[in-house]
Amino acid sequence: MPSAQHNDSNNGRAPIWVPPWRYAEGWLISLGLLMVGFALQWTGGGLNPGALAWPVNLYVALIFSGLLAAAYLFARDIPFIAWLGRVPAAICAITLITFLVLIMGLVLQDDEVAAPWVRRLGLSSMTNSWPFLFAMFFFLAALGMATMKRLVPFKAGNFGFLLNHLGLYVAVLAGLMGSADVERLLMELREGEVVWHASDADGHVYEMPLAMELIRFEKEEYHPKAALIETESQRIVPDSVMDLFEIHTGITGSLMEWEIEVHRFLPLAMPMVDRYEPVMDSGSGPAALVTATHRETGEQREGWITCGSFAFPHQLLALDDERSLAMTVPRASAYRSQVILYTPGRDAEQIVIEVNSPYAVDGWKLYQYSYDDRFGRWSRTSIIELIRDPWLPAVYTGIFMMMAGAVYLMFKGRKPDAPNGGGGRHAAV
Amino acid sequence: MLPFDPANYTIAAMACWFIGLALFAAGRRRAMARVAAHGFYLAGILVLAVLAAQLWQAMDRAPMRTLGETRLWYGMFLPLIGYAVYLRWGYAWMLYYAALVAAVFLGINLLHPDNYDRDLMPALQSPWFVPHVIVYIFAYAVLAASAIVAVKGLILHYVKRDELKELHLADNLVYIGFAFLTLGLLFGALWGKEAWGHYWTWDPKETWAFLTWIVYLAYMHHRIQRSSRVVSSLWILSLAFVVLLVCWYGVNYLPSAANSVHTYAR
Ligand code: HEM
Repeated sequence: MPSAQHNDSNNGRAPIWVPPWRYAEGWLISLGLLMVGFALQWTGGGLNPGALAWPVNLYVALIFSGLLAAAYLFARDIPFIAWLGRVPAAICAITLITFLVLIMGLVLQDDEVAAPWVRRLGLSSMTNSWPFLFAMFFFLAALGMATMKRLVPFKAGNFGFLLNHLGLYVAVLAGLMGSADVERLLMELREGEVVWHASDADGHVYEMPLAMELIRFEKEEYHPKAALIETESQRIVPDSVMDLFEIHTGITGSLMEWEIEVHRFLPLAMPMVDRYEPVMDSGSGPAALVTATHRETGEQREGWITCGSFAFPHQLLALDDERSLAMTVPRASAYRSQVILYTPGRDAEQIVIEVNSPYAVDGWKLYQYSYDDRFGRWSRTSIIELIRDPWLPAVYTGIFMMMAGAVYLMFKGRKPDAPNGGGGRHAAV
Repeated sequence: MLPFDPANYTIAAMACWFIGLALFAAGRRRAMARVAAHGFYLAGILVLAVLAAQLWQAMDRAPMRTLGETRLWYGMFLPLIGYAVYLRWGYAWMLYYAALVAAVFLGINLLHPDNYDRDLMPALQSPWFVPHVIVYIFAYAVLAASAIVAVKGLILHYVKRDELKELHLADNLVYIGFAFLTLGLLFGALWGKEAWGHYWTWDPKETWAFLTWIVYLAYMHHRIQRSSRVVSSLWILSLAFVVLLVCWYGVNYLPSAANSVHTYAR
C-alpha cells in the first residue's frame, strides 16, 4: 500500500521522471502511445483482427498477466511499476481510452467513403487500430497492477475492490483476446433440404459439424389496425393517428367522425370474387368485413378491407371523396424456425430457433437471423446464424463478478474524505 | 379489452404515494405518522403489483410486451429502488424523487391508455428488457441528482466565491448511480448476446453508454486521489452528465449513428 508521501497533494510540482511518477509522466506516456500508435497505423495500416487467433491469444493473455504479476512481486520498486498500480496511471489510462472511444462515438465506423486521411489514421476502424490496441493494453496494465496490489497479500476487506477490478480485467482481457476466435456463419435453409455448409461474411463456405433441415418458418403477427387514410396519398389522416385500433371480430371503434364496427375478422384469408374466405395457405393474409357509420349524417358504408399480401392487393373501403378506411400491415410479434437438427453421434431432433432465444449445441449458438421478406409469413426459407465464442465463459465470469461488485458498491458507498486529503483509499470497496 | 380499468389502479397508486409523502413531510416526529407514511408509500407499489398480476391473468401472458406495460414496471420498481436507497442511506428526498419519476411514466399511460396495446417488436420481447431499462432509468435519475450538486458547487465557486466543503452527497450519488449504470450496461450485454449474437458490438448507442460509464469512473478515481481538488471534480461531474445526455438523447443525431445495428429485419 503506498504511503501518504505518494499523495500528489503533498508535493504538487515535483520534477518530472523523478520517482514517484505521477500525472506529468502519465500524460507523456499516453501521448507517446498515441503518437507511436498513429505512426504505425499511418505507415503500416491497421491490425489484422485474425492475427490473435487461438492459441496465440491464450499465450498473449497468459504472458501479459504473468508479466504483470511478476513485475508486482519482484520489481515493484521500479518507478514505472510502482506508478502503474496507482490512481494517476489509472486516470491517464482511462482518459486515453475515453479519447479514442470519443472519436469512435463521433466518426462513422466502417465507413467506406470516409476521407482518406480519416481511414488511413484508423479513425473509422478504431477497434482494429494500433492506437486503440496500445490504449487497451495500457488500460489493462494499470487495472491489472492495481488489482495485484490488493490481491497480494489477500485481505477480506478487499473483496469488493477485487470483484470490480478483477472482474473488469477478466472481462476486458477475455473479450479482447477472444474476439479473433469468434466465428459467425450463416446457414440458408430451405424447406425440406438438409444443409451441412455455412458461409462467413467474406463468402467462404465451410462444412459444419452439424446439419439442419427447415420444417417450417413461422412468423406470428399482432392483429392489424383500422386506420383512416387519405385515399390519394395513402397516408394516415394525421388527427386520427392516436385512434387506430386493433381489429377483432365484434369490436367497435371510432375514427374521427366515423363509427366503425368489425363484423368479421379473418387472420388468414383469400379473395373470392366479392368476398374473402378463410384460407390457410401460402399467400393468404388478414381481411375484415366492416361497417362505417357517419356520426352526424348516419351515412353507412359496408365492405371488406385488407392490407393484402404478396398474392393479392390491398383493399380500402371508400368513406367519402377524400378518405378511406384501411387496414394496416400487421406487425410481427415473433419469428421462429422449426428445424430438424442433425449432430454426429446423436439422434436427429426437432428444435425451435426463435428471436431472443437462440438454441445452444456443441459450443454453437443458433440464432434466427433472417427470412425471405418478400413472402413474409409464407417465406419458405430461413437464415440461421451460427455463432461460436469459446471465450464467452471467461467474459461472463468477469461480467458476473462486476455485477456482484456493483451491488457491493451501492451498499458500501464511499467513505467520507479523510481530513488529511488522503481520500478513501483504505475504504473497503 | 380488459375487464377492468388500469387507470383506477394507477391513480390509486399515485394517491398512496402522495399521502405517504405528505405524511413523511408532516409527521417527522410522530412515530404513528412515520409508520403510516412507510405503509402508504409501500401500498402504492403494492397496488401496481396487483395491477400487474391482474393484467397477467386477464391477458394470459406476461405483461411485458407493450410500451405501456413496460412503463407499468418502471412505475413499480423505481419507487422500490428509491425506497431501498432511502433505507440504506437515509436520503428522504430520494423517496419524493423516485415517486415523481415513476409518476411521470404512469402519467403517460393515463394520458394514452391505448399504450397498453402498442406492440413491442420481437427483439425487445426479452426477460432482460425490463430490468435493463429500469436500472438505466434509476441510474440516470440518481446521476441527474449528482449533476445538480455539481452545478450548485460550480455556481458557489465562480459566482459566490465560496466553496463546497465536501462532496459526500455527490460521491454517494455517483457510487449508487454508477453501480446501477454498470448493471444496466451488463444486463444489456447479456441481452445482446441472446438477441443479436454478441455481447458488445460498439454500436453507437453502446459506444456512448460506455463513454458515460467511463467518465463517471474517471470522476470516482479522481476523487480517490485528489479529494482536495473540489472544483476539478465538479467539472468532471458536469461533463459526465453532458455525455450522459448525449447518450440518452443525442446519439441519433450524430454522424456516427448512420447505421445502427439495433434493428431486427427492419
Ligand atoms: C468497474 C470498474 C471500477 C470500479 C467500480 C472501481 C472502483 C474503485 C473504488 C471504489 C476504489 C477505491 C478503493 C478504496 O479506496 O478502497 C478504486 C480504487 C482504485 N482503482 Fe478502481 N474502479 C474500477 C475500475 C478501475 C480501472 C479501470 C482502473 C485502472 C485503469 C482502476 C484503478 C484503481 C486504482 C489504481 C485504485 C487505487 C487503489 C489503491 O490505492 O490501492 N479502477 N476503484
